[in-house]
Amino acid sequence: MDSQIHKIHQQLVDKKISCTALIQQKLNALKENTNNTVNSLLNDLALQLAAKVDTKIVNGDTIGLLEGIPFGIKDVYMLQGTYATASSNLLKNYKSPYTATAIQKLLDAGAIPIVKENCDSFGHGSSSENTIFGAVKNANNSDLVGGGSSGGSAVNVAKDYTIFSIGGDTGGSVRQPAGYNHVYGLKPTYGRISRYGLMAYASSTDCVGPIAKSVEDIRILLNVMSGKDVKDQTTYASAEITKDSISNAKAIKIVGYFKNFIENDAIDSKIKADFLTTIEKIKAKGIEVKELDFFKSDILVSTYYTLAMAETASNLSRLDGSNYGNRIDDKNLKESYAITRSENFSEETKRRIVGGNQVLSQGFSDEIYLKGLALRDAISENFENDFKEVDIILSPVTPNSPPKIGDSLKDPHAMYLSDAYTVGFSLGQLPTLTIPKGTETGLQITAAKNNDELVLKFANFLKDTI
Amino acid sequence: MSKIMTVDVLSSIKGAQPSEAVNKLFDAIKKAQPLNNNAFNNNHNNYVSLTDLRDDVVIESSSIEKQIIIENFPKEKNGYLVVSKVIEE
Repeated sequence: MDSQIHKIHQQLVDKKISCTALIQQKLNALKENTNNTVNSLLNDLALQLAAKVDTKIVNGDTIGLLEGIPFGIKDVYMLQGTYATASSNLLKNYKSPYTATAIQKLLDAGAIPIVKENCDSFGHGSSSENTIFGAVKNANNSDLVGGGSSGGSAVNVAKDYTIFSIGGDTGGSVRQPAGYNHVYGLKPTYGRISRYGLMAYASSTDCVGPIAKSVEDIRILLNVMSGKDVKDQTTYASAEITKDSISNAKAIKIVGYFKNFIENDAIDSKIKADFLTTIEKIKAKGIEVKELDFFKSDILVSTYYTLAMAETASNLSRLDGSNYGNRIDDKNLKESYAITRSENFSEETKRRIVGGNQVLSQGFSDEIYLKGLALRDAISENFENDFKEVDIILSPVTPNSPPKIGDSLKDPHAMYLSDAYTVGFSLGQLPTLTIPKGTETGLQITAAKNNDELVLKFANFLKDTI
Repeated sequence: MSKIMTVDVLSSIKGAQPSEAVNKLFDAIKKAQPLNNNAFNNNHNNYVSLTDLRDDVVIESSSIEKQIIIENFPKEKNGYLVVSKVIEE
């Protein structure tokens, strides 16, 4: 699909639609939607901003490419004065005191936020069912999950309720729902986009990620949000990616894929067959394809969850109802903390906090947490060696098609395992893009650290190849 | 500190118990091949250079930010923000 941003921009410039009418249309569609994608609508703010854009157009002023473009925000980002609930009971009345850097950059470019989007509470889940706002329903089949944790964001884009949405990806939370709903979703290189104002889940892999309907839109959004930020000292300066620089894939000579992702019993036979068909098409274009060895899926998933749970147990320890949140008073301070957290966290959040405290405890940290860190280093080293041999790594997004609503809640371990193909790239902090092609839940394109440009280049190539 | 703390205390979650689903993940880590790699964080280059540290200055919050922080506070009485309890131990 072509760029939605360019298309809407042109419609606004040509006065085929007013910005106010456009925003109102999207707000109405969101209000009426039955996919449970909305936590709160930003009616007043959005219409106020739209009126300003209309004034500029009427006055004959030039408007920027993103000016007046409606977008959605996963409900884990700060946007001053709006609710930031993390889809949780604890923060259901919490208002953002400030605005996240990535969101501020979009506001500065003139984009208009219209909705805070449903997701798994604090990003804890792969199905967007762990939420107080009702399970997000898949854009293509409402019996199935929307994926997670950025499920509301992916469904909104797929349904055209938003032109783009900003999700958050810690272990696959942008890429997997993008795959489940047939849209594009990027996890950039860790540190390329500031995390300031994104509620911390696992700080060492948390990434801001755009979801959209074309590679071009992803490129535009990545450029706007990227950059060094003193408020997030893991950020680094990056060069703009131009449209021309990703228009041809001549630089890509060798593509690799992980043999063990494909040659196992857990992968759906159709996803496997479709993936291998894609590989043949790439070969037919004269690109060499290499099979690569990689860590077993259970090791990847276990390493990721061990570290993510340890980090989330630490990050969420601040949520005790003292200064904000749905405080429940009890006989003393410790009891107040405990009852506030027990009553307000979802079962999945509690499971992860407890798991994190387990692995950080004396006696467990050596054999689990420290081993997890060592495994992560080995995984990163494996990637570094792979990218000496190949330019791109291609993989399916998920081993199976989206589960039915309710199934993931019954079997959390199965839900963790369903992240097998996404978590490794998070641990490696690598740029990875889901494209809605190749298999029922799409394909992931990964390049070496800081090489987000190559990912987009190959995505453009695949768009024309498969 | 020699006192043994259970996960429900550590997590401040009443009655919390380790879960079977999560323990299965930890079992996989325990069984993983030992690695001859003791240099943790070899490949995580997310450090900040000493010459690039941010200025150690106090930045005044905007009045709207202060107002929202007060609004978010769980309890207010007679113009004072009410804390939950004091630590008595």
